Amino acid sequence: MNFIKKTILNTDQTVLKAEDIIAYRSRKRGSRIFVYAFLSVIVLWSVKVTIIEDTDWERMGSIGKVISSAARFFGVDFNLFPDLLIPSLETLMISFLGTFLGVLICIPATWFGALNITPFKPITYPIGRLLMTLSRSIHEIVWALFFVSVFGLGALAGIFSIAVRSVGFIAKMSAEAIEDINPGPIEAIRSTGANGFQVLLFGIIPQVIPQVLSVIIFEWEINIRRSAILGLVGAGGLGLVFFRQMNTFNFHGVTAVILAILGIIIIGEFVSHYVRKKVT
Amino acid sequence: MINKSLTSTKMTGQVTKNWSRIKYPDSYIRYLIWLATLLILTFSIEYLDIPLERLMGMFERMGYTLSNRYYPPDIGYIMDLDYMEYVVETIQMAYLGTLFGILMTLPLGWFGSYNLTPSRRFIFPIARLITIGFRAVHEMIWAIIFVSILGFGMLPGVIALTFFCTGFASKLLAEEIEVIDMGQVEAIRSTGANLFQVMVYGVFPQIRVAFTGIAIYTWDVAFRAATVVGFFGAGGMGWYLKRNVLQVETERVSAILFSIIILVLISEIISALARNRVMKMK
Repeated sequence: MNFIKKTILNTDQTVLKAEDIIAYRSRKRGSRIFVYAFLSVIVLWSVKVTIIEDTDWERMGSIGKVISSAARFFGVDFNLFPDLLIPSLETLMISFLGTFLGVLICIPATWFGALNITPFKPITYPIGRLLMTLSRSIHEIVWALFFVSVFGLGALAGIFSIAVRSVGFIAKMSAEAIEDINPGPIEAIRSTGANGFQVLLFGIIPQVIPQVLSVIIFEWEINIRRSAILGLVGAGGLGLVFFRQMNTFNFHGVTAVILAILGIIIIGEFVSHYVRKKVT
Repeated sequence: MINKSLTSTKMTGQVTKNWSRIKYPDSYIRYLIWLATLLILTFSIEYLDIPLERLMGMFERMGYTLSNRYYPPDIGYIMDLDYMEYVVETIQMAYLGTLFGILMTLPLGWFGSYNLTPSRRFIFPIARLITIGFRAVHEMIWAIIFVSILGFGMLPGVIALTFFCTGFASKLLAEEIEVIDMGQVEAIRSTGANLFQVMVYGVFPQIRVAFTGIAIYTWDVAFRAATVVGFFGAGGMGWYLKRNVLQVETERVSAILFSIIILVLISEIISALARNRVMKMK
């Protein structure tokens, strides 16, 4: 109600009259109809451009043909499962190492990007925020391409791309956690004559460690699904097997790889759920 | 702990401190966890055969690659009208994917929330499993599969993004439904409303604001995914990226990456503004 009074009616009277509310509603209805009409026009236009015009209906053929080409994926190549164990393990390891490296890179980004502890606000705060946005805005595939061109093919490129990609989320969440801490303990520690580093170590880190740990574990869970595809651009793990099965048209093998990915992600989800409950 | 020391103060009149820096069982568990983490780390490095000596010259080589190959971004290439068309297509793809995904989210979020699901024994686990399945498979894998089923074009991209958005938003929505105030739901239920009416009149008014926020956030994330879904032939800017990567036109690649960063920044600002506005409506 306060919001309506202040922003839309511009009145300060304490009691809203019925006609005020009716006028507000009718004005709002007009704008709402406009918004919905605008959105549906955009939907229709997008559907026309993307789905109707851009699709090669001739090549796709009838519904039956689409169903038959989708049906190639139904069925699991059980013979492939023994070969999937080691790539799954590799994927888990890449995600683990990537998250660890990401946490290491996060430390300066968080330090710069948290408003209350940033060393020199006009310069370091924008740097920290820029690092976070940069890492989040570029997709992991693109990072992997870049790191493959730096390090060459192999797991190292995948680890670096996952690390850089996960900096954004971890650093942003940790910086927000640091910004909401209780200033009392910091003041207490500062009053004992501690220097900046000691304040950070004994006043700030103990307050945020549970939240930060739960964010890290959550990010690890996301990183499992990311590392499962990095093999597509040459960074090892399950993605490589997927790519190979797809290129040899072994569609049942593709389904098997997807099931393996699903399996490790469900394991990761259970572990992360349990550990996060323990931590917080 | 505190109570114990207080009672001891009361009884004897002086504080009997039995404090040690290392608490007996907890500390061992903590050190064991650290040890296990380190062991896993070293084992992984060993097993994956990571060339650690390459890390030494890493910054040098990264600087070399950036400055020699990627540095002057070919801005003229992305100022092209054809490219702009692809950008608009990417935005449309993200928009449609989010829309369809959000529509699919409504039943999945309802069935997958523990407190309101029609049947806890059958429908709840199925809905949760579908959600996990959609979430677990990366959007690139969906894109590849749908390209192989439907052929090149934007339709497979839209479908892949739909699946991605469904998985992303259903979990958030189900979590949002699980923390609503059950009093209103009870009240509606006591008037004899059926399941659907309970959903419409008891639950939806409570999650409306959060749902809009989730939808906007999902659009933001879907746009980031849409920029690269085309990498395997599903339309949008990703196709440009792939072509230039394969031709090793690194200056063009860096220009495309630059444009992606700018677009993502704009979409992030728009989504933050919209979410702030929606949250104010609460």
